[in-house]
Amino acid sequence: MKMRRRLIWTAAALLILVLALAGCAPQAETVGEAEPAAEEAAPEPTEEPMAEESDDMEMEPIKIGALAPLSAPGAVVGGEAMREAMLIAADELNARGGIMGRPVELIIVDTEGLPERGTAVVERLINQDGVVGIGGGYHSSVGVAAKEVARDNGVPIVFAETWNDTITSVQYDEIFRIAPLSSEVSTVDVKFIQWLRDENGMKLDKVVILTENTDYGIPAAENTTALLDEAGIASVTFSVDIGTQDFAGIIERVKAESPDMIVTLATGEASYNFTQQAADAGIGPQDVPTMCNQVSLVSDAFWTNVPDGNHCFVRRIGLPQQLYNDVAQALVAEYSARTGKDDIESYAMASYDSIMLIAQAIEDSGSTDPSDIIDALENINHMGALGPITFPINRSNTPDQAGVDPKWWHQFPDPAITIVQYQVEGQDATETTVVYPDVYQTGAPIVVGQE
Amino acid sequence: MNPAALYRVSGSIAVVILVLLPLASSEMGGVGPLVLNSYFMHLAITAFFYAILASSWSLLAGYAGQFSFGHMAFMAIGGYTSGLIGKFIRFTTAPSELCTDIPLPGNWWLVILNIRRVGTIDESCLDMAKAETLPAGTLIVFPPVWASIAMGLAMGAVFGLLVGWLVLRLRSTYLALFTIGFSEILRASISAEIPITEGQSGLELVPLFPAGILGFSSTSKIPPYYAMLFLFLFAMALMTWLAGSRFGLFVRAIREDEEAAAALGVNIVRYKVLVFVVTSTLAAAAGALQGHYIGIITPNTLIILQMSLVIAMAVIGGLENIYTASVGAIIITFVLELLRTNIEIGPLLIDMTLWRLVFFGLLLMLTLRFQRNGLLFPILERISRGGVAEETVSIRVEEEELDEEEAVADIEAEEEERAASPGNAK
Amino acid sequence: MENAAIFGWALLWILFWGALGGVVTPRIYARKDLEISQASFGGAVIGAALGPFSLVPLWLATPKITSRLIGISIALVVGIFIAAFALADPDNLCVANGGFVVSQLANGIVIGIIYGLMALGLTLIFSILGVVSFAHGEFYMIGGMVTYFMTAQWIPGVSPIVAILASCVVTFAIGYVFELIFLRPMGSGEIERPTEYAILVTFGLAFFLQYFTQALTSAVPVKAQRFFPFPRVEIPAESGALLTTTPGNVTIFDAISVPNPRFTAAVLALMMLAALLWFLYRTWVGKALRAVSQDRQAAAVTGINPNSMNTLAFSMGAMLAGLSGASLVQVFSWLPQVGIPAAARSFVIIVLGGMGSLPGAFLGGLIVGLVEAAGTGCIPDATRAAAYIPAYGMVILTLVLLLKPTGLFGREL
Repeated sequence: MKMRRRLIWTAAALLILVLALAGCAPQAETVGEAEPAAEEAAPEPTEEPMAEESDDMEMEPIKIGALAPLSAPGAVVGGEAMREAMLIAADELNARGGIMGRPVELIIVDTEGLPERGTAVVERLINQDGVVGIGGGYHSSVGVAAKEVARDNGVPIVFAETWNDTITSVQYDEIFRIAPLSSEVSTVDVKFIQWLRDENGMKLDKVVILTENTDYGIPAAENTTALLDEAGIASVTFSVDIGTQDFAGIIERVKAESPDMIVTLATGEASYNFTQQAADAGIGPQDVPTMCNQVSLVSDAFWTNVPDGNHCFVRRIGLPQQLYNDVAQALVAEYSARTGKDDIESYAMASYDSIMLIAQAIEDSGSTDPSDIIDALENINHMGALGPITFPINRSNTPDQAGVDPKWWHQFPDPAITIVQYQVEGQDATETTVVYPDVYQTGAPIVVGQE
Repeated sequence: MNPAALYRVSGSIAVVILVLLPLASSEMGGVGPLVLNSYFMHLAITAFFYAILASSWSLLAGYAGQFSFGHMAFMAIGGYTSGLIGKFIRFTTAPSELCTDIPLPGNWWLVILNIRRVGTIDESCLDMAKAETLPAGTLIVFPPVWASIAMGLAMGAVFGLLVGWLVLRLRSTYLALFTIGFSEILRASISAEIPITEGQSGLELVPLFPAGILGFSSTSKIPPYYAMLFLFLFAMALMTWLAGSRFGLFVRAIREDEEAAAALGVNIVRYKVLVFVVTSTLAAAAGALQGHYIGIITPNTLIILQMSLVIAMAVIGGLENIYTASVGAIIITFVLELLRTNIEIGPLLIDMTLWRLVFFGLLLMLTLRFQRNGLLFPILERISRGGVAEETVSIRVEEEELDEEEAVADIEAEEEERAASPGNAK
Repeated sequence: MENAAIFGWALLWILFWGALGGVVTPRIYARKDLEISQASFGGAVIGAALGPFSLVPLWLATPKITSRLIGISIALVVGIFIAAFALADPDNLCVANGGFVVSQLANGIVIGIIYGLMALGLTLIFSILGVVSFAHGEFYMIGGMVTYFMTAQWIPGVSPIVAILASCVVTFAIGYVFELIFLRPMGSGEIERPTEYAILVTFGLAFFLQYFTQALTSAVPVKAQRFFPFPRVEIPAESGALLTTTPGNVTIFDAISVPNPRFTAAVLALMMLAALLWFLYRTWVGKALRAVSQDRQAAAVTGINPNSMNTLAFSMGAMLAGLSGASLVQVFSWLPQVGIPAAARSFVIIVLGGMGSLPGAFLGGLIVGLVEAAGTGCIPDATRAAAYIPAYGMVILTLVLLLKPTGLFGREL
């Protein structure tokens, strides 16, 4: 009796395994030539050689890789938005006949937000899938690790959302970036705080910074502290583990500091948790001027998680929506149709551009050789959704020659950064008021807590 | 054919194939139509890495009955020790004056670098010394990778000894909780002490062979493949020998009944601690090697999720046998990678990046419940015994009914039984 | 910290005499043929309390080491620790600011009550089945998820009470089915080494439930609205010196402030606790449960079916975790991963309180709540204090397991 039951269950367990395995069996068809449009990663690590000897090189798709965090511990929300935008890019390319008459195949891989996964998947993109360039990229730590693999293999990466300064300051030929530099972002934050003090007559002697102990949070907090110091503003930094839920103790400490302003550099749900719990405790955005983290621009999630978040200041990367160019308008329309969101996240927009940049570089150089693509990228002038994209600091104009900091190497110099404010409860991110800088301003800031 | 011999032969064939496999890699031009690209080589290295972890965990948990959840912590100790040595220690031929200098015999100095501020590209004290105090022509030598790996191993052994000794009194649940605590404290410390460990951004390690070896460049997959393969084979050989010796007999006697084993004169303290030391040293070795191969190590390798992956590999392969555990780990590494493809059933699109882990968890539970010995073991059993698959189970059921005093003797008998059985091929 | 040296030396003094007391005392007691089961732990705390001034009399007189003696010593150690801290860092908020301390204490107690409720479920399972459920955090997560989806998505505007009940039903049902399929065979001897089996199989369940939820929902954090916002009140009117409430907060004496969601959650938890006590002590089934936890065989003889008690205990334990999740989903943002730290904290609590002890779990919850509040509130280095939050509980866990594995109220191992 027992024996038979055991066998049945073994069979059942094996069946599940087989079914799960069967999942990868039809992959050969999904990647088929019939539909060479954007496809999710389709690995076949064993037998398939690099298929270089193939006769009809003409119809062979051009493969472009893309990095995005699609499962925990990565920032999955960000990764999914990026994936959607990059798929739009690939569809658009194919709809207009591909690159040099060849279809484009976009291979999106999951970095899980882990550097070790990052090296593995970049390795796979280059050596297994044979991509000629890579776009996307979210976590800085993944970017730092991935740039080494790109360099070893001589394949270019255009990073869309990795802010860490060192990624470009090591000056690798292969590494380009259209995301802002972390240190520049801190500069804008502090300039805004100074502006509030000097132009709006706000009392601003002490700022509390809440950051996360990650490769993004720690340097950002240090930069901000140093810049605030120069501006004559005292600051206290609290650093939390990214998984922190309960901020009650920290908030009491923040309260005891009686800050004139709170800056939240912690990302993800930690930022939501902190802001709402602070609001409950009476030092929320409606009591003390607060710069909420950029994740607050995902307005649905923001209002669900931070119902008392009105009057939050949020830093926004990219132009305000009313200044979008045609490319961006078209992208937002398509993106909204696919996701139901009203606006596109800055990093999703940048991911779209990163794919389009690589495509144009291939067209400009007329070659799929990675080193030709790198040459083309250095000289590119691409009208992207972010605006006209160039990389002025490059091998023919090195940081030394140009007399600038090495962090500007292969760096898109002009990602517009604005500060917006939620001024109506439940407001959509697209309807927020741009309060800084003056050139983009659509309304005056509401400064709370001033007697 | 005698099953034991059959397994010896097939085992040898497997080893030969693994050793010759790199000949088919794309770097070597491949063998005929078979060309393995470097991504395959990367997966193979990772598979060996997990195989070492899963099999050493199965020795600890399956043989010795010590359900430790801190195995990944020892792995991380190996990796971080080796990485920190590479980050903070240099050898010079003149004192730097600016760093901590320790004189060594033969006009050499061991220089410990300063801890730098986070997030900046501050100059290290040695860089400043180069410009100011060090005389021209001073040699600055990085610690050799093998030596830092050896230190990682030693550190793994020391911590294994410490933890093994601390948990002597703790059994099953208590041990599991203690090791989770140990692992979490280590993770929190590594994340928080950013000036030393670089925290979440990860500690960068030099390549396994920084200057290349035998004509292979430092980025070639072939030297790390062999390094990891040999560590794997060495670990298997060591554990086979241990499991077959008195050591293996005693630790299983302790697992079944500690008091009875003690009554028969087994030195419980020594064997329980020893099994901890051996398995954590192996984990540390794997961690150090993998760290240098990947080039970066982060505290996220310590999250409970990573530990559960190793546990699941061992359980699905077969917990009580180091061979099935290691083969399980190798298969699962590849399968999980293959499963990252979306499935379309009619209009339903299943995002396998997520669902593969759901199936995996379900498989883990079902394996535990209905096939305690793992999915591989019974297959091996059936092949070799021609359908008489129930024997081990019946032995175990009888065993439970035996008196305590007979437990050790019984295991001895079982040991002989198993020697003849293929699953435990020696 | 101004006089860090004072604190350092005090700590060293405590550790040294504690270690000495822990090592030497059992030897002395053993030589005199006295009871040594408490000697090691007792010696350690007595040594830590007063150093040589208490150890020498202890070794000379060798009195019976009672719980009261240990209790007094622990209180002394804590007192000395706090005094040394206060001397070393007189400007610290925890020393200088009374309102801050009381608020931290209030927050610690409030959150501790909820932690206690969750741990109660875990300890209930342990006392009946003898296993620790590693999927406890996932039941907590599911409780919160169900409550959120009920109130915000499926039936918007439904009373939070209904949503909480629904989450109870769901977690109870999952626990019930799981116990029937996976844990029931443990009792029949079909499974060898049941404790280890239970660890692994609940671990598998945790893995499965977490990813299953993630696959079904998404990775976007969610949060339920405040269940019962406070009305705006000021007592006395206008000044609000005694009591002031806003929808999100209550302030007492202008100093102690407790946010509304936490307050609601703690009140809910206390109500659940009362209901649980009533169930365990006043109903037949509850009495049967306790009987099984005390003596399985004897209970079976009196006609109680231990198997059904197992199922009941596991599903109720799961339900208690679900309840704590349901009451906290209005406090914290909710994700499929929130169960992991919560489960870790429950492990700490039941180990501290003594595995299988119901009062221990509750008291343990309070202590852990307070220690976390003290840790985040008092550690001077602002950038580190919070980064180590996940470690505080784990330090307690490892220390208790090493020094006194039975915890505060546990039975002997």
